[in-house]
Amino acid sequence: MTIIVPRGLRRPVTRRSVLRTGSLLAGAGLLSAAGLPLRAQDSGIDWRQAAGTRIVLAGLQHPWMDAIEPLVPRFTELTGIEVTVEKQSESEYVASMPVRLGAGSAVPDVFMIWSLGQAISAGWLEPLDPHRADPALFDAAWYDEEDVFSSARSFERWGDGQSYGMAITAEAQTMFYNGEALEEAGLAPPATMAELEEAAAAMAGPDRAGIAMRAKATGDAAPWTAAGFIFSHGGSIVTLEGGSGLLLPETVAGVETYGRLLREHGPLGIGNYHWMECLNDFQQGAVAIGCDSSNFATDIMDPSRSLVADHAVFGALPAAGDRPAKPNMWHWMAGINAASANKPAAFLFLVWATSPETSLEAAAAGLATTRSSAWSSGAFRNRFGEQAAEAALANLQAADGDLFKAAWFHPRGPEILDAVGIAVNEVVTGAADAETALRAADAKVSAILGG
Amino acid sequence: MAAARSRPRPEAAARRRFVLLMLLPATALLLAVTLFPFLWAFAMSLTDLALTRPGQTRFVGLANYADHLASPDFWRAARVTALFTLLAVSIQLVLGVGLAVLLHRETRGAWAWRLAFLLPMAITPVAAIFTFRMMFHPSIGVFNAILRDLGLPPVDWLGTPGMALVSLLIVDCWQWTPFVLLIAAGGLASLDPEPLEAAEVDGATPWQVLRDHTLPMLAPFLAVAVVFRAIDAFKTFDIIFVLTGGGPGVATRTLNLLAYKQGIEFLSIGYAAALAIVMLVVTIVAAQLFLRRTGFFRPRAAL
Repeated sequence: MTIIVPRGLRRPVTRRSVLRTGSLLAGAGLLSAAGLPLRAQDSGIDWRQAAGTRIVLAGLQHPWMDAIEPLVPRFTELTGIEVTVEKQSESEYVASMPVRLGAGSAVPDVFMIWSLGQAISAGWLEPLDPHRADPALFDAAWYDEEDVFSSARSFERWGDGQSYGMAITAEAQTMFYNGEALEEAGLAPPATMAELEEAAAAMAGPDRAGIAMRAKATGDAAPWTAAGFIFSHGGSIVTLEGGSGLLLPETVAGVETYGRLLREHGPLGIGNYHWMECLNDFQQGAVAIGCDSSNFATDIMDPSRSLVADHAVFGALPAAGDRPAKPNMWHWMAGINAASANKPAAFLFLVWATSPETSLEAAAAGLATTRSSAWSSGAFRNRFGEQAAEAALANLQAADGDLFKAAWFHPRGPEILDAVGIAVNEVVTGAADAETALRAADAKVSAILGG
Repeated sequence: MAAARSRPRPEAAARRRFVLLMLLPATALLLAVTLFPFLWAFAMSLTDLALTRPGQTRFVGLANYADHLASPDFWRAARVTALFTLLAVSIQLVLGVGLAVLLHRETRGAWAWRLAFLLPMAITPVAAIFTFRMMFHPSIGVFNAILRDLGLPPVDWLGTPGMALVSLLIVDCWQWTPFVLLIAAGGLASLDPEPLEAAEVDGATPWQVLRDHTLPMLAPFLAVAVVFRAIDAFKTFDIIFVLTGGGPGVATRTLNLLAYKQGIEFLSIGYAAALAIVMLVVTIVAAQLFLRRTGFFRPRAAL
């Protein structure tokens, strides 16, 4: 199952954009003494050890694949390893990968991980720490792990202390406001949930609904955004102790707020909205407020497809009362197939793809990578939007990765989230109140967690 | 004579060998891609195989079946599936036969109409369904734009339980009515025109001719259409997956969608396999009952 499908990276990396990155970096003092970025060749890694092999990279249509694919020839030049890229739509990918991996296929060698808990418990992922410990495969000083967001590093650690994947993107739940509507209503971006409800009411117009967020009754839709509201109210889906958090009064309050916002200020048909409908409505000015992955910034700021590109405002998730806001977050990860016949080559690819140098180049094309250096680069901020980048970073810092991991990385996460998706949807459509809907979901989730 | 019967003539034996040889590839293929997977699925349905617990699979007998039959999710999905199948087949039958009869009478430009009606069957289903998803979009979709231009209030096509089912039926009927039309048109073309002309000469109205003569003669053809369509509608997946994902709530979660969730999303293969076997048994039993009761395919003594 997939959590988010950020889209938007359409501009390929060009020579000019790479040069621009270089010049901006020089200004930012991020270059080595020789005036060049720390190059892969300068590391202690034996890049040519698997020259002549061919690996298969599988992923879904996603900004990371779009950003990495054009850079792959450089990896081949560096290592002599050929890479075949297999790209599928999200639903195809999620439906076909369990069948391939479940059958023990050695291909693909490297893949984007759509459900970490499932993949680890099914034994599909190669533990990475032994490779990391091999000096011919990994050079910690050159790789500069301190530069990687701490949330990304924590994402990479499974409950057994092992690492099974490398984080490739960083996304946080972020608010989007229609700047014109905000101005007409004479409002600043809301700081609290109560202000958010007032703003949603005030910013609505005859052809514009107040707010749209995911409400479709599937595990990959409603739960991700609703969870930010649940966490911010002090609730949880799965508690840090591993029990169901669905009947906590804080959880009920979070779902109630989420449901009320959409029921009273959402567009007609909100009950069937996935991220695609939410994004379309916001881009077309049909809703005043949106709330989804920070990666949507590249779509929202694209004037060829968005009517709000010149006045969209990005903001932090509002707080519930006195509690600090805890927006939801997500790092896409990539890992190595445990049945792969080319594990060293696959590991070299992962290291190269997440290295400071490659991250900078991917960021110049707008990819929200996991590295501070890439986020602070001027090229990234130009492409992603300065204000969007600030809001995304603020939300990333406020997020609580452990609450996310407790639910989403559970081996039976998809089943848990399916039950939550149905409950949130019922509250949004008014089919049930929050407590009744969550009680039904809790019966299922408690049985899953207990068994 | 008796000697000939006990010892087959050489040409008869050769003929039998030839027949067996010709049947062999198709039989082998059928065994490999139908019977073997079916038996394998049945075997899996008797275990608690889950991809998230590798190496811990146990034989559980009929426990998966008992779990399904005791689960409210199963019965809710069964009701939704039955309702969807019944409505889809009924509507498509009426529309398909109606259009076939109208086109049968028409001579000028009938081919163009027929072509236009068959187009939905020729379009890649999932592409068409994604287009429908955008057309159903409540605020920027074309259906509500048309309603707005007509001064009518917008409709929440996929967001309420009732309308979601209606919208799914609209797409299914758009896609599959042409199939019924095709079979009915073929049937009409092959009917003996004499009894129909005789009825007309006797002064029957067109409606009486249709009701009392054409439709009864067409019935065996329509039975084929009903069986094919009912089996297909029973296992509809793409339309529901793309348009509603089973929602709102679980209002459109059919048995097939439930099996997909259990198998592919949750990786509980044994549990999902049991559901697939239940669906297969229901399909076979229902089709057999229908065919036996209608009796259209009983070999006729006269033939």
